[in-house]
Amino acid sequence: MIQIDISKCTGCRRCETACAFFHTGRINDHLARIKVTHFYETGIDGPVACVQCRQRFCLNCPVKALTIGPFGAVIVSPTICQLCGACEKACPIGAIELFDGFVYVCDLCGGNPKCVQACTEGAITYQPETIEQASLEDIKKQTGKMNPGQKRHFYLNQLGAELRRKWSKKHA
Amino acid sequence: MLEYGYGSRILRLDLTSRRYRIESLDPAWIKDVIGGRPANTKRLTEEINPHCDPLGPDNMLIFGVGPLTGSLLPASAYYTVTAKSPLTGILGDSAAGGQFAAEMKLTGFDQIIITGKADKLLYLMVTDTGVDFVECSQLAGKNIVQTTTAIRAEQNDYAVQVAAIGPAGENLVHFACVVSSGNRVNGRTGMGAVMGSKNLKALALRGRKSLLAADTLAFLDEVKKIEQKILQHNEYQKRYRMGTTMLMKDLNGIGILPTKHFQQGVCEYVDEISGQKLAATYKVKNKACFNCNLHCSRYYVVDSHEAEGPEFETLCSFTSRLGNNDLVFALEMNEYLNQMGLDSISTAEVIGWIIECREKGLLSPDDLDGLKIDWGQTDKIRQAVEMIAFRRGIGDRMADGATKLSQGFSKEAQKLVMQVKGLDIICGDPRGIKAYGLTYAIASRGADHLRAEPYFELTERFDEAKKRFGTEKAADRLAEEGKAALVTYSEKIALLCDALTMCKNIGLCMDILNLESTAVLLKAGTGIDYSPQYLQEIMHRAVIRDFELNKKFGLQHDQDTLPQRFQKEPLTEGPTKGSTVNIKKMVDEYHQLHQW
Repeated sequence: MIQIDISKCTGCRRCETACAFFHTGRINDHLARIKVTHFYETGIDGPVACVQCRQRFCLNCPVKALTIGPFGAVIVSPTICQLCGACEKACPIGAIELFDGFVYVCDLCGGNPKCVQACTEGAITYQPETIEQASLEDIKKQTGKMNPGQKRHFYLNQLGAELRRKWSKKHA
Repeated sequence: MLEYGYGSRILRLDLTSRRYRIESLDPAWIKDVIGGRPANTKRLTEEINPHCDPLGPDNMLIFGVGPLTGSLLPASAYYTVTAKSPLTGILGDSAAGGQFAAEMKLTGFDQIIITGKADKLLYLMVTDTGVDFVECSQLAGKNIVQTTTAIRAEQNDYAVQVAAIGPAGENLVHFACVVSSGNRVNGRTGMGAVMGSKNLKALALRGRKSLLAADTLAFLDEVKKIEQKILQHNEYQKRYRMGTTMLMKDLNGIGILPTKHFQQGVCEYVDEISGQKLAATYKVKNKACFNCNLHCSRYYVVDSHEAEGPEFETLCSFTSRLGNNDLVFALEMNEYLNQMGLDSISTAEVIGWIIECREKGLLSPDDLDGLKIDWGQTDKIRQAVEMIAFRRGIGDRMADGATKLSQGFSKEAQKLVMQVKGLDIICGDPRGIKAYGLTYAIASRGADHLRAEPYFELTERFDEAKKRFGTEKAADRLAEEGKAALVTYSEKIALLCDALTMCKNIGLCMDILNLESTAVLLKAGTGIDYSPQYLQEIMHRAVIRDFELNKKFGLQHDQDTLPQRFQKEPLTEGPTKGSTVNIKKMVDEYHQLHQW
C-alpha cells in the first residue's frame, strides 16, 4: 500500500501530476488517484490515496464491480461498473472518486507506483506487504455526508492536528 | 485552433454590467508573444486607453498564463497580473507562483481580462463552463486566508484556488498586492489596488479541463533533463534549506545588503537575521509551487505567528533595510503584510525614507503629523504599517507610495527616495552589482531586478562570460563592461520564463532555461515550431513593446537612470567600499544594443 508522511509533504503535487499523467497522458487532478489538499491557514499539505482500510467500505458496490487484487489494491471493472457512485459515497476519506465516466482509485501502478518516484521528499513510500490495516470506522461516522474533496480535507485536517502540536512544541 | 498546451480561450468580464464573453485565442496573435507576461502586455498595448485613471473602471486587469503553465515542466507554476499601475502610472505587472496558475489552466482560459467596476463587493467564481458573480459584503475587510477559506467552504470545494486582495487592496493603497495560495504574492506595482478599485475581492477558479502535450514523450524527455539539472545543481541544497533568504548572508558578504535605507552595505548583526538562523530556528517544513522539485519555499511557526516564507525581499526589507535586528518581528511582518495584501518592498521604502529624512533633519518635527520613528523601532514600524494598510491618519499619504509622498517636501528629501520610474528599489545595492543596477534603470515596470535578473554576474564564471558576452568582465560584479550585453541577453530569458511560464529562480538564477531547450519544450508542448533565433527576435520585440506602451503612458528614456546616491556616494565599508555606478554609460550602451 501507499504510505504517506504528511510532515514531509511540501504540497508540490508532483505525486498527483505524475499519477494523472502516467495513467492518462494528461494533467488534471480529477484524473489522479492520489490527490493533494492544501491548508493555507495552517501550513499543512498532504496527499490522500487509498489506505486499504480494514473495513473496505467501497466493496458495497451493488453490482460487484469492485474487487481486491494483488497487493490489496481495489480493482474496478469498467465493464460491470454502472457509475452509480456508491463506492465514492462509501469511502470515508475521499480516496475513490468518479470523474467523466470513470472511477479513480489507486491501483498501485501494478507494483511500481509513479507517485513514489515523483516525490523527491520521501513523503510517499510503497509497502507491498500490508502490515497493519488502518481502521476508518471513526472517520466514517464523521464524513458520512461530505463530498470526496470535503472528506479528504477532513481526514488531512485530523492528521495535521498532530503535526501542528509537534510544531508548536518545537518553539515552546 | 491551438490543440496543445494552450487552453485556446480568452475570458472577458465586465464588472459594471456583470456580463462575460468567451473568445477563442487567435493562434496568429499569440505566436509572437507565447503567453504569460508578454501576452498580457500585448493585450494591454492594443486595448487600453493610455490616459485612463489606473483606479477607474477603464483600467484593464489581466490575469495570464502560458502554454506550459501547470504542465510537467518543473516550477511551471506562474501567472502574471497586468494593468496600468496606480503606483507608477506606467505598465504594471507582477507574477506569482503557488497553485493558482495550474488551476487557471484547467479552466481552459489563457487570459482573463477584467474591466469595469462592480456596484457591490464581489468575487468571481470562474469554472471551465462559465462565471458566477458572487456578492460578498461579508468578506469586506477580511484578510487573505480568511477570504480564501470562506470561498472554498462556500463552494464546497477545497481545490478551488483563490487570488484575493486584503484590506490594503480594498483601501486602494497604491502598492497593494494580489495574493493567492494564502501567501503567494503578486507584490509589485499595486495590482491589488486596481482590483480593489473594481470592487473585486477575489478571483476564484476551478477547472475540469485537462492538459495534453503535442508530443508527450519528447516533452517528458526534455522535462527529465531539466529535472536532473535542477537536482544536480550546486546550489540545490542551499536553496532547499533557505530559499532566497540565503541572500541575506551572501549579499552581506559582498557588501551590498541594504542597511539603514541603503546608507550601508554591510550589516553587523546579519547573523541574527540570516536565512541560516531562520532555517535552524523557526522553519518547520518546506513548501513548494506546483510540480516543483526544488521546494525552496518554507513554512514557519513562532509564537502566535505563522506563514509561508518569508522570501529575501521581505526579510531584508523589515530587518537591515530598516535597521532592525529582530528576526521574529520580520516574521510577524511577513505574515501581516501578506494577509493585509501589502508589498513589502514599497512599504519598507516609505518607512525607510521617513526615518532617513528625520535623521538628516529634512523633516521638521511637525511634518507627517509628528510621526516619530527611528531605525529598528519595531513598535513604531508596526504602527506605521497598520496606518498604511488602513490609510489611517498620515498613513493615508504614505499609502500613495514614497515617491508621491516625497513630492510635498524639499528636493533634497525627494532625492532620497530609492526609486526608478516611481517603483521602489529592491533589496540589493547596485553599487556592488552593476548589471542589476542597469536592470533597475531600464526595467519597464520601474526599479526592478526581475526584468533581467542578471544573476550570472555573481557566479564568477569568467570563461563562460567570455564565451557568451565577449568579455570576462560580464562575470565581475564590480565591472561595468559587458553588462549591457549580459542584460540584453538575460532580459530575453527572463521574458521567456514569464511567457512559458517558469520560475525565474530556477529558469534564470540557476541558469536552467536557455533558448534551445525552450524551443524543444515549445515544440513538444504546443506543436508549434520555434527556432532559438526566432525566440530571440520575438523576445526582443516584446521588450520594444513594453517601451512603446510606456511611451503612450508618457514615459521617456531619460528616466532610465538610478537615484543619485548610487551614482555619487560610494559605500564606505566592506567588499564594495568605494564603488559607485556610472549608470549613464551602461544605459547608453544598452540603448545602442536596442538601436534606440
